Amino acid sequence: MHPQRAPAELLRAAADGDRSAWDALEAAYGPLMWAVARASGLGAADAADVVQGGWLRLLQRLEDIREPERLGSWLATVVRREALQVLREGSRSGVHVLATVEEPEPGAAVLGDDDRQLLWKAVSTMHEPCRTLLQLVAIDLGSRQTAARLGLPIGSVGPTRARCLEKLRTLISSQEMAQ
Amino acid sequence: MIDDEYFLAALRLAAGADPPPAHVAAAAREVYGLRVAGSLTAAPVAEAALTGAGARGDDGSHLVRFVADGLTFDLEVTVGDGLIDVAGQVLPHPGEDTLVDVRTPHLTLSRRISRNGCFAATGVPPGWLSVVCHRPGHAPVQTRWVRIRP
Repeated sequence: MHPQRAPAELLRAAADGDRSAWDALEAAYGPLMWAVARASGLGAADAADVVQGGWLRLLQRLEDIREPERLGSWLATVVRREALQVLREGSRSGVHVLATVEEPEPGAAVLGDDDRQLLWKAVSTMHEPCRTLLQLVAIDLGSRQTAARLGLPIGSVGPTRARCLEKLRTLISSQEMAQ
Repeated sequence: MIDDEYFLAALRLAAGADPPPAHVAAAAREVYGLRVAGSLTAAPVAEAALTGAGARGDDGSHLVRFVADGLTFDLEVTVGDGLIDVAGQVLPHPGEDTLVDVRTPHLTLSRRISRNGCFAATGVPPGWLSVVCHRPGHAPVQTRWVRIRP
């Protein structure tokens, strides 16, 4: 494991046949990819499938990732788009070619280590019910149990969550602007 | 909101409550064994560019076309009984002694191509699939991975 190696170096080494570099990439980005797949609404089996697809895509792009320092965002974008495709397909049979992703989506930057910590801190400063609701969302408690914990009607969990995420987004933006 | 999934993913990561299962991490590491050194990747041709019945045949088969390095790969995928059959053609004919690998993450079936550039593989498990063309004296050409749902 080489946690100190930069993404560009890991990509180059993996392209040259260094399996340990690939393992280091998996250790660095595997949890992120899984979180994106699950947060997109996929069950465990589909999430596993989509994450594997992300790695297969990376394997074919080892030598031409445009911005290695944004590799995490690129992988997150690949996984999110593929997850949305799986959700669109539902249970229909079919053949789908892995999508081309050249530029990471800007929103994926929030998954970077620094931004993630900032995000978690921001949640702890929010008023109720957002603080508890987002903490429960983070542990995937489910709408029914979340509603029970917060004393909300189950039908209002989704809209409240959306409002809380919007508040969080505003909070993060103002913190980033203040820095 | 368009980026909610990223916010939710970041929250999930920070909470650490749903780490990837060990088999997911293992599958990711095993992907490296599918690396084809020095290969070119064939990109898909848009479905609208396909002729005839388009991307879906009358018999429920699916047609996918890839192009790279002067080669065109036509793959016809038929799903039945939980397994898939792949019938393919590489044009122009890539030459004698060419080998084609039909690959999934767990299985590679090697085929010699016929005089008209055709090959076939049957009973392939669904999931991710790619085809690699090995021509003597040339860099291997592999198709982008496709996901096949039964």
